[in-house]
Amino acid sequence: MRLLVVEDDAILNRQIVTSLEQAGYAVDSASDGEEGQFLGDTEPYDAVILDLGLPKVDGVSVLNAWRREGRKMPVIILTARDRWSDKVQGFDAGADDYVTKPFHMEELLARVRALLRRATGHATSEISCGPVKLDTRSGRVAVDGNPIKLTSHEYRLLSYLMHHTGRIVSRGELTEHLYDQDFDRDSNTIEVFIGRLRKKLGVDIIQTVRGLGYLLDASQTKT
Amino acid sequence: MTGIRPILKGFAGRSIAVRLAASSVFWSFVILLIAGLILSTLYRDNTERAFDQRLLVNANTLASNLVAPGALDRDLGPVGDPRFELPLSGWYWQVTRPNARPDEVRSSKSLFGGQLPGLAPAGNEAFGQIRQGYGKAPDERGLRIIERDIDLGEDGRFIIRVAGPADEIETAVRGFLFALTITFALLGLALGFTTLLQIRFGLRPLANLRSALGAIRRGEAERIAGEYPHDIAPLASELNLLLDTNREILERARTQVGNLAHALKTPLSIIVNEAENAPDEVAARVREQAALMRDQVNYYLDRARAAALAGTLGTLTEVEPVINGLARTFAKIYRDKDLAVELAIPKGLRFRGEKQDLEEMAGNLIDNAAKWAAGKVVVVAEIVREGADRSRFRLLIDDDGPGLPEAARTEMIKRGRRLDETKPGSGLGLSIVSDLAALYRGSLRLEASPMGGLRSVLELPGDKA
Repeated sequence: MRLLVVEDDAILNRQIVTSLEQAGYAVDSASDGEEGQFLGDTEPYDAVILDLGLPKVDGVSVLNAWRREGRKMPVIILTARDRWSDKVQGFDAGADDYVTKPFHMEELLARVRALLRRATGHATSEISCGPVKLDTRSGRVAVDGNPIKLTSHEYRLLSYLMHHTGRIVSRGELTEHLYDQDFDRDSNTIEVFIGRLRKKLGVDIIQTVRGLGYLLDASQTKT
Repeated sequence: MTGIRPILKGFAGRSIAVRLAASSVFWSFVILLIAGLILSTLYRDNTERAFDQRLLVNANTLASNLVAPGALDRDLGPVGDPRFELPLSGWYWQVTRPNARPDEVRSSKSLFGGQLPGLAPAGNEAFGQIRQGYGKAPDERGLRIIERDIDLGEDGRFIIRVAGPADEIETAVRGFLFALTITFALLGLALGFTTLLQIRFGLRPLANLRSALGAIRRGEAERIAGEYPHDIAPLASELNLLLDTNREILERARTQVGNLAHALKTPLSIIVNEAENAPDEVAARVREQAALMRDQVNYYLDRARAAALAGTLGTLTEVEPVINGLARTFAKIYRDKDLAVELAIPKGLRFRGEKQDLEEMAGNLIDNAAKWAAGKVVVVAEIVREGADRSRFRLLIDDDGPGLPEAARTEMIKRGRRLDETKPGSGLGLSIVSDLAALYRGSLRLEASPMGGLRSVLELPGDKA
């Protein structure tokens, strides 16, 4: 899952980015509205955390522009403006959630999880595919109830695939959603991680669709 | 004089129209009274002179009769007017000889043996003068008398006295006064009427100014529009300037408060986040104090925002779009809750105040209801009192949650208030709602909802277009 953080305060920006990365997301960041709008326009983010009081272009304008161009990724507004009029304006501009400063990082993370889940059509924090269970809240993975230890890259890969169960995910899509823009995108690494994942899970739920990508399908599982 | 001052003071507080009308009535009355007095005096003088002329003609006839040789042996009459022959007709003549006994020489038959009173010669008048004055007839009726002295040389001196009834003059003067009074009364009325027209016409710009201010108060206009005569044009433009400045100051205060919020809350977020990652004792203290700071900042920002609106002239805010916007927002905030928000807001209902403040009050109350509701929140608005200036509307917010017992409801608002003073911003958005409502001279109360939960009743100034 790849996220964008648009926040003009450098320290807060770094804090949010660090916390999100620790939680297993690929994170890009922008420090003004112009850069943020450009990134949101060009990169396929799974969710955006957007400040309202931004230099160059303010947050509501950025959000309005995205929605006008048909960009539907979930957006959490993170702002000090806590009046209802600001919230109404934010939601009307197309925000999906609204967090007011000062905030607890835990709460922001919970909101991000909920938003990602909702965006991919999952009702609870636990996503399962056959014997594999992934708890997005705790970041734990279990097969038939036995916990499996995954590295953060492996977790990201599995999490993205599990959020999009039943549909073919291309290798390109995986690189775009799993790594931030500074990452050295070598398509071989994906294959390496898929291999390691298959080994660790011990069940064959990840199918390779030749020439297209990968498909997570519980019905095909041989247990 | 002591009585006038309080009266003048009484007028000072009244409208300019009353002052103008009162002074106009006063001066018209004084001027008409003086004119009437002068006119009636002149008329009386004229009437007397004409009457005297008639008497003098008779005196001259008598004199010429008297001058005729042997006149004293004959009867002097008739003078020509038959009324002198009629007993006690009011018309008399008499010829007397001063310093002689008996002094009466001849008199008219009408005198019936009586005497006409003599007019005292004023001072050392020379003989031969004509005198006129008033006297009393033998039957006590008032007489106008004219006297003429005549010197017949060796025959001696005579005084010819002719009199006519004085009430003829009085009647004529009275008739004139009656006509004069009626004329002047009509004139006074006409003057009063034209004064009223003038006042209305002359003061129309002021009346316009007043209704323009009223429109601003009711929020129907932002500035004083229209042309004003140069006497009060500066007043209108100064008022406009004042309104603009007021609005500008308010806007600036709002912006600065918003900037302050942003400036303070971002560093606070950083401190809180840093402290959360460092689990030692200092970090715990920092977390605790940062939370306190956050509450303080929130509380005083709310207060500052609320205070910024106090004393502004009214703007009008449509209630329906505001509540609709909030409902859209709550649908997103509580989308995981399966919450139904039902609205019944009449179209055209207007809140006399700032949009942001209505959003703040209604937002906090609906948020509160949505938090506790089992599945349904109902928002109803209705006009409470129809009136020109002080009409209000009521916003009822019901939920089907657990509700609160009566004691807790009253305690809730009381507690909110008490905690405001000791520990700001303690959780309840209700206190800021109550504060805001009070600034608008409205009110907030909590009741038991017929839906089972809590009902918030917010009363605010407003009307229906």
